[in-house]
Amino acid sequence: MAQAGKFADKALQLLRTYPRVALNNLKDMPGAYKKNFNKRRNAGKGKTHGRGHKGMGQRMTLPPLGYEGGQIPFHIRIPCEPYYKDHEFKRQYPPFSLLQVQRLIDMGLVDLNEPIDLLTFCNTAHYDCSIEDNHYGVNLTEEGADTFQAQINIEVQHASEEVIAAVERNGGVITTRYYDPECVKAMSNVLKFLKTSTPIPKCKLPPQDAFEYYSNAKNRGYLADPEEIVQARIELAQKYGYELPEISDKSQKELLLRRKDPRQIFYGLEPGWVISLKDQCVLKPLAEEHQKYYAS
Amino acid sequence: MSDAIFIVPSDNKPGRDNVTTTGSLRAEDKTDVTGELETASDPHLYVPDRPPLPIVTSRQLEYPSEHLPSKQAWLDTMATLEDEKLGIVDLHPKIFGTYPRIDILHNNVDWQRKYRFIDYSFARSRAEMPGGGKSPTHRKRLVELGRVVSGHLYIIKVEKHLTKRVHGLCCALSAKYAQNKLIIVDSLEIPKADHQFLEDLIDVRFWGFSTLFVDDSDIMPRNFSLAVNQIPHFNAMPVYGLNVYSMLKHETLVLTLAAVEKIESKLLQILYSAQKEDVKFEYNE
Repeated sequence: MAQAGKFADKALQLLRTYPRVALNNLKDMPGAYKKNFNKRRNAGKGKTHGRGHKGMGQRMTLPPLGYEGGQIPFHIRIPCEPYYKDHEFKRQYPPFSLLQVQRLIDMGLVDLNEPIDLLTFCNTAHYDCSIEDNHYGVNLTEEGADTFQAQINIEVQHASEEVIAAVERNGGVITTRYYDPECVKAMSNVLKFLKTSTPIPKCKLPPQDAFEYYSNAKNRGYLADPEEIVQARIELAQKYGYELPEISDKSQKELLLRRKDPRQIFYGLEPGWVISLKDQCVLKPLAEEHQKYYAS
Repeated sequence: MSDAIFIVPSDNKPGRDNVTTTGSLRAEDKTDVTGELETASDPHLYVPDRPPLPIVTSRQLEYPSEHLPSKQAWLDTMATLEDEKLGIVDLHPKIFGTYPRIDILHNNVDWQRKYRFIDYSFARSRAEMPGGGKSPTHRKRLVELGRVVSGHLYIIKVEKHLTKRVHGLCCALSAKYAQNKLIIVDSLEIPKADHQFLEDLIDVRFWGFSTLFVDDSDIMPRNFSLAVNQIPHFNAMPVYGLNVYSMLKHETLVLTLAAVEKIESKLLQILYSAQKEDVKFEYNE
């Protein structure tokens, strides 16, 4: 927005010789407003002004753009070609690159002592996620994979093999995890959600077409078998030619082993709890029926 | 100027500070006026008592830029008639050194001028009145081709666009700074509650015909308030009232150091926050 620098300094230097910038010498950019002109009379050229004689052309009563004549209607004459059928129901994963993650870390917007998830991205205000646009979370992309250097425990919604390799090469942990729209809504604007004083939603399991992805150890799915994931980590390291670094620090090891329950969406808070910002307290469900519903 | 009457707080007796409540202070005979008013020899007056100059040599900036050198300005004082430099202060280049976009200034001034035309008056129509309902059909054609049916009705669109407003303030401050019309003073304290002193001060320092004084709060020093009250073309304003229109209307802009701090911190907070897109508000008439 505000530009400062050598060009601005040049302009300001020029301004010193000019009359005072005051209310009487302000004007908008040339061409800021479109000037209407009479197409019949002012358009130049003599006689008919290029519009010809008689008819709809001269009188400016031509049919509107897209008008089609003929007897058979458009939708009957041309066969249906549903290329984009059900596009409005497809799940969208707005991309976020490893370079951007590294940038957030370098700027100090992300705390490395905590696991990173969708909530972290949304809280930095550098990532936007809205369920109105069918957004289901982050797609972590490869850009900046070569220069990525942080050791993190990250949870995303979609990640390619290269991204997984880039994170694990540095001794990090990556998990792919599904959130249903209700949870995405709660995480995208957490303050707004907490102000509603509704119970923290219980995360649903992934739909049928996504179940395979999230239960596959190659994708580091959260529903995959942990032993298979250990095997897949070694396989990937051999494929990309790096060694999995051993973590000796105890606190770092604890951080990397932290995972959420498949039904849980916030670290440290369980589904069913109500957080009251006004009274500064957490209300937990006591009825057996509720406890049974919110149990994992 | 007509005979002016000071507005003096009730606890302060008018005679105590030798402030005349009636009578013209713009008397031709200057010696008479100074005889009535406070003189510098009075013991309760503001006397500049300070360490040797320069007092200030730099200022700590929030969000300092690595690539842009900070702008610098003299720190003046209004305690004396003649110009006296207390030191030099640093100003943020993104606020006092932005590209002077004249169209952005125009946009801001236009926006402020439009507020005059907003009409908040409201009258219920026949459909909204209790009792009968809306007319089932239109009795007349809604629009008659070739002429305006209702001539008095027109719509003004006033946008509240945060980015443009912030940009406008930065541009106005930069233009003032570049044209040497921005003065920074330590405070608005003047030695006597005399409008003549203020006029002389502005004459001596070539601050022009109109001057806008900006302080951080709306409670200004007493002497200054009484003096500035007498002169219509010198105006005082708190920081929260600072706007592009007033800055461009007045020839010189005088900011106190506290006001500079407040303006900078507020604008930088908006410039450097990762906030989402602006919300637009519209007022229709």
